[in-house]
Amino acid sequence: MIRRHVMGIFNDEDRTIDAIKALKESAFPIKKVHSPIPSHKLMDAMGVRKSLLGYFTLMGGIAGFFIGFFLAMYTSVQWNLIVSGKPIVALVPFFIVGFECTILFGVLGNVIGLLTLSRLPRYKNLQQYDERLSGNHFGIVAECEEGQQENLTRFFEEKGAETKRVYIY
Amino acid sequence: MSRLSYAEIDRTVLDTLTPPRRAYWLTVAVLFCGILIGATCWGYQILVGIGVGGQNHPVAWGTYLINFVFWVGIAHSGTLISAILYLFRAGWRNPIARAAETMTVFAVCTAGLFPLIHLGRVWLVYYMLPYPNQRNLWPNFQSPLVFDLIAISTYLTVSSLFWYTGLIPDIARARDNATGTRKKIYKILSLGWTGELEQWRHYSRGYLFFAALATPLVISVHSVVSWDFALSVVPGWHSTIFAPYFVAGAIHSGLAMVITLMIPLRAIFNYKRIITDDVLENVAKTIIFTGLIVGFAYATEYFIAWYSHNPVEIESFRWRALGDYTVEFWIMVICNTLIPLLFFIKKIRRSVPWLFGISILVNVGMWFERFVIIAGGPAHGFIPHSWGLYSPSMVEFGIMLGTFSLFFFLFFLFVKHLPSVSMTEMKELVHEGENSHD
Repeated sequence: MIRRHVMGIFNDEDRTIDAIKALKESAFPIKKVHSPIPSHKLMDAMGVRKSLLGYFTLMGGIAGFFIGFFLAMYTSVQWNLIVSGKPIVALVPFFIVGFECTILFGVLGNVIGLLTLSRLPRYKNLQQYDERLSGNHFGIVAECEEGQQENLTRFFEEKGAETKRVYIY
Repeated sequence: MSRLSYAEIDRTVLDTLTPPRRAYWLTVAVLFCGILIGATCWGYQILVGIGVGGQNHPVAWGTYLINFVFWVGIAHSGTLISAILYLFRAGWRNPIARAAETMTVFAVCTAGLFPLIHLGRVWLVYYMLPYPNQRNLWPNFQSPLVFDLIAISTYLTVSSLFWYTGLIPDIARARDNATGTRKKIYKILSLGWTGELEQWRHYSRGYLFFAALATPLVISVHSVVSWDFALSVVPGWHSTIFAPYFVAGAIHSGLAMVITLMIPLRAIFNYKRIITDDVLENVAKTIIFTGLIVGFAYATEYFIAWYSHNPVEIESFRWRALGDYTVEFWIMVICNTLIPLLFFIKKIRRSVPWLFGISILVNVGMWFERFVIIAGGPAHGFIPHSWGLYSPSMVEFGIMLGTFSLFFFLFFLFVKHLPSVSMTEMKELVHEGENSHD
């Protein structure tokens, strides 16, 4: 069955939250919510869970420490040259290399996690998008069955939406 | 801050991206000429040899290292503002965070050039990298110079990624407002950002981790830079206070550079409602704090030299204040520790001409601090018959002009092509203000 998607565009955050709450009690499932800012009020209304991104960062950081530390250790034992009376495998200096690599790989893990979880880059999204959403408007995309879009559009009108858009996908 | 609407924030910031006037291109052209002068001097040095610089026995590290430390220092306050103050939830950082972070990226790029310039045979730079080779020779990971290579390249990577990540929602806003080729470029750069809650959920978390990782990094980077000196046994360098002393100095100079850049930026781009007098005043207050730490570090160095009863240390510090570099030393002390105390007077820290003037003087003072430390240490070391003075050559001045021009050239290009104030963070600030009034 072909599903219809209707986007209600609001110019006020509180009205958007009211619409979300009403939609949750209706027969129209919410597909997406757009916001120009990371609004905690909206996230609470949607019941958004904490991101798992931290695991990517943590894994990157742990891997980075061992990569840095063992790179320094491995390369030192290739040529046992004593410098300034320090041991060949000198823990304190190698810890510094490990520390810098912890940060570097932690950040790389963070970026990879962010791109993976947010599914970026993804340009197809822009086909179901309104340019006001990055400015000062909020958008809710709800789903309905074919023939129901008028009801959904009316629903958004009642909730104070400025504009409605219908997408088929 | 007077109440700004989201639309006003967008309009003010996006207006800066309109096609520039002739005066802008003229400034860019002048800066480009400065870069050409620097590039020519560097080319001449590569052809003739490193001897065209003023570095010689006993002072082997001259303006190339002075400028390296200076620019790494400038970079630090960008991360202080964008990461450390973010973790402290200091809302006044939001209007200047983007410009400060940009300053970080370009300052690290500029700093990164100096080790290459100082190498002489720049094409052998890959010797520093740990790559597998037949001779089984690897970099010495016990050397602070190798720590420095790792720390600076990490810093450049992290600050560039942090900067770009912060830009994504704003580039999306610019994309939605642009037309033609600009729109296409912004579309690619924004990675298809649509501001879905699902994206914000991961983005907010990612941004927090960026800040959390950048904070220890920024402290470690200038500590590592300080160990380039402190791990040697040169009098005036071999000091355990160097790491915190360098970090405080770095933030001190960087904050001054933030004021130097923000004042013209807000005047040219009509940002007065965004970068308010209160924001500049808060930066000035932070400069008082860092200036006091720097002053305390100067005093501690003298105390330790006296308390140690070490004749070489005592002579080194006596000579620093009263010897051949006495002018440079007193410029350093007056500009870095005494002049910032003027910010205790409210009228001065709220006066734009005073703020601008003092910020320039702190920048000058911090440059001379690096001169006094880097050139002053080996110039007056252990053995009197190996004492000697250093003064920069014209080639070094040319290269210095080139790199300063490069920094401002990149910053000028940035402010007309990408949002120089974070619209998202400004909207968040307004949003928080609205909620606190509810």
